[in-house]
Amino acid sequence: MLTLPLANPGRPDVRSGRRYLWWIVRNQWRPLAVGVLLGVLWMGSQALMPAALGRAIDTGVATGDRVALLRWCGVLLGLGLLQTLSGVLRHRVAVVNFLIGSSRTQQLLARQVADLGAEVTACTASGDIAAASGTDARNIGRTLDVTARFVGAIVSFIAIAAILVSTSPVLGAVVVVGVPLLIGTIGPLVRPLEARERRQREKLGAASAMAADTVGGLRVLRGFGGERVFVDRFRTASGEVRTAAVETARLQSTLDALQVGVPGLFVVGVTWLGARLAIDGTITAGQLVAFYAYAAFLVIPLKTFTEVARKFAAATVSADRLVKLLAQQRSIVDADAPLPAPPAGADLADISSGLLVRPGWFVAVAATSPTEATELGDRLGRYVDGAVALGGRPLARLPLAEVRRRIVVSDKDPMLLAGTLADNLDVPRRGRVLAPEVVLEATAAGDVVDGLPDGLASELPERGRSLSGGQRQRVALARALSADPEILVLDEPTSAVDAHTEARIAERLHDLRRGRTTVVMTTSPLVLDRADVVAFLVDGVVVAEGTHRDLLRDCPPYRDLVTRGESE
Amino acid sequence: MSATTLLPTATSAEVATEAVRLLRRHRGAVLLALLLHAAAVAAGLVGPRVLGEIVDGVRTEITTARVDRLALVFAAALVVQAVLTRWARLRSALIGETVLAELREDFLAGAVALPLGTVERAGSGDLVTRATTDIDRLSYAVREAAPEITVATLTSVLIMAAAFLTAPLVAVAMLVGAPPIILGTRWYRRRADEGYRREMAAVGRVTAGVVETADAGRSVEALGLQDRRVERTERDIRDWIAAERYTLWLRTVWFPTAEIGYVLPIVFVVFAGGTLVARGSATVGEVTAVALYVQMLIEPVDLVVSWLDELQIGNASLARLLGVRLVEPAPVSDEVPTSDDLHADDVRFAYREGHDVLHGITLDVRPGSRLAIVGPSGAGKSTLGRLLAGIHPPRTGSVTVGGAEVSRLPADVLREQVALVTQEHHVFVGTIRDNVALARPGALTPDIEEALAAVDALDWVKALPDGLETRVGSGAHVLAPAEAQQVALARLVLADPHTLVLDEATSMLDPRAARHLERSLAAVLRNRTVIAIAHRLHTAHDADRVAVVAEGGITEIGSHDELLAADGAYAALWRSWRA
Repeated sequence: MLTLPLANPGRPDVRSGRRYLWWIVRNQWRPLAVGVLLGVLWMGSQALMPAALGRAIDTGVATGDRVALLRWCGVLLGLGLLQTLSGVLRHRVAVVNFLIGSSRTQQLLARQVADLGAEVTACTASGDIAAASGTDARNIGRTLDVTARFVGAIVSFIAIAAILVSTSPVLGAVVVVGVPLLIGTIGPLVRPLEARERRQREKLGAASAMAADTVGGLRVLRGFGGERVFVDRFRTASGEVRTAAVETARLQSTLDALQVGVPGLFVVGVTWLGARLAIDGTITAGQLVAFYAYAAFLVIPLKTFTEVARKFAAATVSADRLVKLLAQQRSIVDADAPLPAPPAGADLADISSGLLVRPGWFVAVAATSPTEATELGDRLGRYVDGAVALGGRPLARLPLAEVRRRIVVSDKDPMLLAGTLADNLDVPRRGRVLAPEVVLEATAAGDVVDGLPDGLASELPERGRSLSGGQRQRVALARALSADPEILVLDEPTSAVDAHTEARIAERLHDLRRGRTTVVMTTSPLVLDRADVVAFLVDGVVVAEGTHRDLLRDCPPYRDLVTRGESE
Repeated sequence: MSATTLLPTATSAEVATEAVRLLRRHRGAVLLALLLHAAAVAAGLVGPRVLGEIVDGVRTEITTARVDRLALVFAAALVVQAVLTRWARLRSALIGETVLAELREDFLAGAVALPLGTVERAGSGDLVTRATTDIDRLSYAVREAAPEITVATLTSVLIMAAAFLTAPLVAVAMLVGAPPIILGTRWYRRRADEGYRREMAAVGRVTAGVVETADAGRSVEALGLQDRRVERTERDIRDWIAAERYTLWLRTVWFPTAEIGYVLPIVFVVFAGGTLVARGSATVGEVTAVALYVQMLIEPVDLVVSWLDELQIGNASLARLLGVRLVEPAPVSDEVPTSDDLHADDVRFAYREGHDVLHGITLDVRPGSRLAIVGPSGAGKSTLGRLLAGIHPPRTGSVTVGGAEVSRLPADVLREQVALVTQEHHVFVGTIRDNVALARPGALTPDIEEALAAVDALDWVKALPDGLETRVGSGAHVLAPAEAQQVALARLVLADPHTLVLDEATSMLDPRAARHLERSLAAVLRNRTVIAIAHRLHTAHDADRVAVVAEGGITEIGSHDELLAADGAYAALWRSWRA
């Protein structure tokens, strides 16, 4: 059997949802073809069952011929076993087809999301990605599963039609024309039903969101009151769900009744016609039984048709959504003719602010506006395009991979990932290989390790949620230090840390980065005091440079900023 | 702080009691629905009998008129079946929806009544899962699985009864199908639960991993973690496929076993029937009818067997929903605070037994004074704050307000005394007005605006497209973390308790804005007691007294100037901060 996930999921056709589905089908046509064959075998053996039963009654039961009876019982048993065997094999192949299709889609999605990187949230809400991975990939897999059954249903329908027509052209014609007509009768009800189901889902979604909102903010509710209002609001929403669900049930029950009644009446018609033919002697009693059983059996391919229509519609919607995500392009990409990168130890200059970062320096940027500091950081790492030069060459003309390797920008809210603490710190190294203990010591995060049950090997949940804000920030800083890049840009790396700890970090950070270039955006005097040079950024422009103490002495606006208006 | 205690789950006995109680409450409706279903199924059983009669008739010179009459009976039975089916299905849907509405409303009412300490400890994750996933699963079980199984069971029983009524000797032969179905299903069900749970969890991990890659997109790109994220998803996919293969194997054993159980009865009925007909103990028509009944039986039996899973999942969810009602209410005393004095006496506290995080803290907070609590991370500052706000009772010692134990005050009394605002901010779905007025329902616009002004938020609120009426929260206008904190503080201003505990309540604001906010807040809260837990030293500088907490105890306490004069740890820190 195939090994999943695939070594290479391939390059999808993302021009449209349908093309994507077709691409998926083409890529696994072999297992799909096996599925179709088994589907035909399975449905076929089921379709032959009524005929065999009819013959068994005619030649075995009615005649009292023991040999014939035994022979026909053997045929029934054989057909039954064939049906069983082909059924389970068909199911297995169907599941494999489902798994190939949806895991391939998941792989493509994971690659695309990773490639979009920093730009992914700009173009897609994380809810959409959750839906793409959780729902859409599965919907696509499910269509592959029904495809095989669908073809089997068509084949068995044709086989039965052929048997019927050859036994009795009249009855055969009734069945062949009648079944599609039946689909036509029930079909029109499906659409309004879907509309009501959608409405019901919306109401349920709203109520569910309200419940989540209420219990999610329960600490606030319990602390401030308002529980009654929320419960009342939920009762109203819940009542609306109930009303919508009952509306759906009204239509659904009608549809259920029709699904019983319409094919049933058709069976009555066939039986009645068959009985008259049997009286004439045109057909035997056994054939009449077979006709009855066929008419009843045809409901199965009928249901499969409806199921396929539904699943295919769902898969098309899903594929459209997926394609939108998969076709997303990055805006920050390599230049057409990239320049070779300058040798290590290059200086980094931001033309618009006038900031010049010399190699090996520890530079602090104190900005009057935190947003402008963040924008500066984004330019320095080329997360947005700006007039920035590394070693005199425009950053935008250098290979992007090279820029990411040499300049690491840790944003204001760096996110930890699910996995062990050690895994989190184990990032691709750009320079020295620093042990986890070393970087954690530098960020005064020893207490984080001590507080975890298995130390470095402890599992953190998604986003490292089990840690407090200050702990997360220190671990993320340790992770950035682990990368040990030539140039490290940190945006307010200690904003959530208490003053005691901040003082310790500021001291150790400087030591650890010795010989490498570091830029820190901060207004904390504890950090500013440790910098080789401080650039004072006002309205996005560096207006003063010097050591913290110099600036405190000579630059009153700077003093105001870092002492937070103490002198006011 | 990471020690979380999950909320309880109801035992199967408790779930059963509740189910019986619910059925009893709707006794009449349930009986009617069952009767309707039974009648519908019975009408559906006419067909094979009619066919059997025709088969017999064909062999013994039946008249065309008789055939026409039989066909009419068949048709009439079908119409009756269809009408009854509709009625029965609708009645059961009505019962189901009513019961579901009751269950989810009771759940929420129970959830909001949970004691504060329980909520704090359990975190919101577990409750949110119960409120969403479990309600969804229960709905599915009640809406789909319960009626399907009920109807299918009813159908199976009636079909078998009809077969026995038609020709008991022939019908006995169909019982050969029972052993493989029962044994196979039992084997499968013993393993299925765990297998599918693993599968679901594995599916969830794949999605969670991809979503995490997206959420952490910036960090992933900055550090060059793309390949690792793809590898992580591929590892998740591998686990998921393995889980799927396991359940597939279970079905590979179960399906054929059950299927044999469907095939054998037909063969045996025909064989036994043929033998009996030859002896003259049964007619061909009877054999035909029973054979057709056996065919009819396949569908409902299959339904029962395959819906059992969903019913069980629904049952587990119901147990979790009912579990919320099992939480012991916090002990409440009827002591009445006689003053606004807040006093902690030799307080010790542990989240995990044997691991005290506070080691005998004694503290007096004078009414109307401002106390700042500073200290390194993990020293117990937040825990102390929670104890002072009455969220957890101390393990030993006491925390009292006006002589009454804070943690034993009923919620509505406590609210008037002490309130806590943390750095965690939840914005409720609704307007900004709703979010603020939560603290005092029916508050007038000027009051709300005044509260927003006190936290420097009125300007940006007014600049929003709909001002106070702007819809916020999940799915609407998203407030920045700093804005959310301001809304939380405005709520506090409106609630106006005499004592406020602020745990890093301005941490999301940039330092200058935070300072400004704290000053304007101080102006509004002039006569209120404020306990501020902060990591920024200016908060301490502005307070009347500063308590330095380290390793679960208070190491220094006094005014800013006193502490500077004492020249301890605080003074050292302050000096390095002021450079």
